[in-house]
Amino acid sequence: MSTTQPTYETAVARIEEIIRRLDSGEAGLRETLALVKEGRELVEFCAGELDAVSRGLEELRLDDLVERLEGAQR
Amino acid sequence: MSHAAIAAAPVDSDLPGPYPVGSYAARLKQELQKFARVQLVGEVWGLRSSRARVYFELRDTRGALPCSMWLSDFEKLGLALTDGIKVVVGGGCDYYPGSASASPSFSFAVSELRVAGEGDLLLELERLRRRLHADGLFEPQKRLARPPLPRTIGVVTGERGKARDDVLAGLHRRGWAGRLVWAFAPVQDRLAAPLIATALRDLAAIPEVDVVIVARGGGSLADLFAFCDESLCRTVALLRVPVISSVGHHTDRTLIDDVAAVSCSTPTHAAEAAVPIDCRAARAHLSQGAHRLHAHSRRAVTERARTLERLAAAPGHHVARERRRLHQLVRELRASARRGVATGRERAATHVSALTRATDRARTSDHVARARDLERLALALAAHDPDRTLARGYALVEDTRGDPLTSAAGARAAHDVRLRFHDDAVDAEVR
Repeated sequence: MSTTQPTYETAVARIEEIIRRLDSGEAGLRETLALVKEGRELVEFCAGELDAVSRGLEELRLDDLVERLEGAQR
Repeated sequence: MSHAAIAAAPVDSDLPGPYPVGSYAARLKQELQKFARVQLVGEVWGLRSSRARVYFELRDTRGALPCSMWLSDFEKLGLALTDGIKVVVGGGCDYYPGSASASPSFSFAVSELRVAGEGDLLLELERLRRRLHADGLFEPQKRLARPPLPRTIGVVTGERGKARDDVLAGLHRRGWAGRLVWAFAPVQDRLAAPLIATALRDLAAIPEVDVVIVARGGGSLADLFAFCDESLCRTVALLRVPVISSVGHHTDRTLIDDVAAVSCSTPTHAAEAAVPIDCRAARAHLSQGAHRLHAHSRRAVTERARTLERLAAAPGHHVARERRRLHQLVRELRASARRGVATGRERAATHVSALTRATDRARTSDHVARARDLERLALALAAHDPDRTLARGYALVEDTRGDPLTSAAGARAAHDVRLRFHDDAVDAEVR
């Protein structure tokens, strides 16, 4: 797994790649365990991304937001 | 210039003249009137009338021209022009040279005037589109990375328009429930463009905003012309955040559609384009992936444990199988041995029997022969037995040592002799 933070798309693509490799039955025990570990981390990451946009719609008005930001700067 | 110079004073300038200004102004009027008569398109601004003429400015984003028209001609049109109305005027350049008591003025002398139709607008749109394209402004937005799961989405739309509900419906359809920043702006009148541009710039200035939707429902091309504003389009093209446009219906194509990262036919589709991933489906897919990973993880251990167990048991099975095979061999050997001994014994017994029989046979025949020989020998011996001869009346003469005397001379020489009869011996003396 890359040390840089993956995007949701690259993470999902990698998970699918991992599952294909595991499904092939060609991975040895050591590789299988490493792939499963990597896959679980990516699933965690993707679940976090999905959670971030599933907590409930928050609607703001730009005017209010700008006011709030400007207030914070003052 | 045909006018003679009227000033004799020497000057430093290399330019010709000086000429009387009135003459120059009159010549300028002649030159300007040589300009081809053309049609111009632009927005009417500052319409005012005098006793004989109406005056207004014709403007667009790149410049303006003062226009004038005979009042009588204007009134024949029966138009009520207000600021901002797009018109097409026909005419040519005119210059009033003024006088000692009147100011000069330049104007485009309008002889024809009509409100711009869709065809005129489309022509103007095409020219602007070509210009934006030539400036490379269609590409920058399309090169921006669009996050598959934006956390904060900005929306520029009318506060009371249907587009607002459509955007919400599209986001709901995607199962998206993040943060939405509404930037409400007029989306129809001719002042809309700068306000929309300001809203876009403000949204882009918020670092959390990942993507911006510009949405407006359908309308006439004239209504949608705010979204063809050159300045607005240049603003959009250079924003740091991707802009997804949905202006008008799918048959309309405004310039903001060209410069935006993505253009959609409806606000609902724009919302879906802003969130390319269906969050509910993605969650289900992810859950499935997680289960498969878990299954592989479990299988990787349990199946291999079973294999190891099987492999570990294999030598034992092998030994047991070999042992069974050896035992079988031993049993077979023993059985074979038993069968061999019995056979040998039987064979030996047969041999013994045969030998016995042979011996018996041999022994019997030999014995008989020998008996016969013995009998014959006995008979022969008996025939030669001196006792049997003696019994028949013969006597054996021996000397005193027991040696037989077979002649008379020997008997005389021995003198003392012994006469052996079959029953006893008697001593005698020869004389």
